[in-house]
Amino acid sequence: MAKQWLWRLVQTAAGIWLLASLVFVLSHLGPVQGADVLLPTAGDLNTAATPGSFAQREATRRAVQRRLGLDQPVFYVSWQSATDTAGGYWRWHGLPNQYHSWLLRTVHGDWGTSLSSREPVTTQLWQAVVYTFPLVVITLLFTLLLAWQLAEQLAARPWWQPLMQTALTGLQALPLFAIALALLLLLANPEVVAWFPPYGLGQTTPTDVGWGPWLSSYAYHAILPAVSLMLSVLPAVTLQLAGALRNELAQPYTATAYAKGLSQPQVIRRHALRNALLPSLTQLTDLLPTLVAGTLVVEVVFALPGMGRLLVQAATTRDYPLLVGGVLLIGTARLLALLLADALYKWADPRIR
Amino acid sequence: MTWARRLAWLWLGVVVTVALSVPYLPLPYSPAVPDLAHIAAAPGSTRHWLGTDAQGQDVLANLLFSTRTVVLLTLPAAALAALLGSLAGSIAGFWGNRLRVPLPYWLVALALTWTFLRLPGEGYALALALLAALAIIMQRRIRWRWPAFRLPLDTILLGSITVLGAVPRLLLVVAITSQGITATGLIALLALLAWPEIARLVRAQMQRVRVLPFIEATQVAGISSSRLWLRHALPHALEPLRTALPLSLAALIGLETTLSFLGVGLPPTVPSWGRMLAGARLNPSSYPSAIYPLILLITTTVALQTIATIPFIIAHKYNNIKQLKTS
Repeated sequence: MAKQWLWRLVQTAAGIWLLASLVFVLSHLGPVQGADVLLPTAGDLNTAATPGSFAQREATRRAVQRRLGLDQPVFYVSWQSATDTAGGYWRWHGLPNQYHSWLLRTVHGDWGTSLSSREPVTTQLWQAVVYTFPLVVITLLFTLLLAWQLAEQLAARPWWQPLMQTALTGLQALPLFAIALALLLLLANPEVVAWFPPYGLGQTTPTDVGWGPWLSSYAYHAILPAVSLMLSVLPAVTLQLAGALRNELAQPYTATAYAKGLSQPQVIRRHALRNALLPSLTQLTDLLPTLVAGTLVVEVVFALPGMGRLLVQAATTRDYPLLVGGVLLIGTARLLALLLADALYKWADPRIR
Repeated sequence: MTWARRLAWLWLGVVVTVALSVPYLPLPYSPAVPDLAHIAAAPGSTRHWLGTDAQGQDVLANLLFSTRTVVLLTLPAAALAALLGSLAGSIAGFWGNRLRVPLPYWLVALALTWTFLRLPGEGYALALALLAALAIIMQRRIRWRWPAFRLPLDTILLGSITVLGAVPRLLLVVAITSQGITATGLIALLALLAWPEIARLVRAQMQRVRVLPFIEATQVAGISSSRLWLRHALPHALEPLRTALPLSLAALIGLETTLSFLGVGLPPTVPSWGRMLAGARLNPSSYPSAIYPLILLITTTVALQTIATIPFIIAHKYNNIKQLKTS
């Protein structure tokens, strides 16, 4: 079992490295490159930096490329396309290339600087994670608690079971952004009901206003995002847990428990639930990354200055160092989820220990 | 077939028909051209039957053309993913890690890779291919036994599924499409992200089917294993597609609308439900126009879920057979 988990960890780590590399290489091969993002355009007001002629512009471009190391080849090898005299062939560039130096820097903890804000990527991600991490953790806790309660109720087969089942399945059909948007347009819309703020977090920091007011403002702004995130993952967790519970309640040991004279809640809680929890723990490894990916959507909808919105902005402004950093960070969250699920599994199932 | 399933099929039929026929419909307005004389018009007030949005674009035309975008992107992607996933899953489930491939076939694969990657020296690849052909002839004619090496198909499949699942797919799509992407590229990307789920299910089903008595009987009858796989095992292993295909289609529709909502992927001139909803996000006072795409999105995904829920008897067919066999 331990070997299997270790193998899965290694595979996941390799996957993260491969996907981050893929994003890196693709972003450096595409038509729009880092130098274009940095170059002043005609729209910039700083006229001193706006070169006039085409030659001047090209010179600036080349200088920017050299400064960022973009004049080097992207990867170890590249495909030289065919010319009139010779066919296409592979060309070996050796170690001085952009990918190699990126890999070395990343391993050493230097994730580069963002192209648009020119701050280190790690700093920017860290500033954003402060907003995202509590959101994800709170959502995760509430989802688990609510799913547990709902599944317990559902397994007892009350009269509203079919209704609830249908509602949960229907909810599962909705993409997260539709849920978030519906909540925003219903509950944070001056034209309908404005109970919650549609935007506005992040204009003050704890050092400006003190921790108390900042925390209460954070909680106020984070309710709707957290609720929409929770609604998007709740059906999967609840339905899975309720199904597992029903399975367990059909087992012979349940009949024994009833025959001993236990009440239904006791049977569910003390006997069936513990066994039904095991598959849900495996689901947890997917739940955490799903929530983190969900912040990409809710933070855009509710204008939270967190990691999700940062990454979407990085994608739309083509800020590659930031994007690759985001892939690495969320990949790490998945690795952590795997480790966490492993630990929980060992705790929950004594047969594995 | 219950009435709910009939209704679902009917709705999906309508959606696909609309998507395919919309360029030929006599619509009074085209989707991208703003009507500056009527900005944010109410439904039915002018010739805009569903009104216009804050840019003066006709809501009805946008809605219909968005449906076309969604269908033309997700349907091919889901079909491609189903093809890829069922091929990979059924092969890995049928042969597992047990397939032993003789040396000449490895040489053929090497020669093919060599040519495909256009590595220097085509002569080597040709020589390799000739050598392999000779070796295969030797094996066929004089029963020469070449050493065979194990091809761990199952491990390869599971490994690639883990690798693709290492990062949430929304993040991956956002990161990869930031460079801008063509429609074909987006279809390929969506298919690439959707096949692992189908492969996993088909693989599990194939592992169940492979041990059924009729497969053993076919083996005893002396049918080659590739024919056994294709003609006898595969039709049964594809059973999960009944559920998996509609569900993966629904997931892809969700992913595509999310992408266009975030403003990533296809250029903003392409009409889509997500883009219409993003307009409502920026302009909350025009929220009624967000209701139409939301309704279409919800109905379509609920319809897909409805046809994905299969009757109990079919769902438990193979479990029952397996229980019969073991008891």
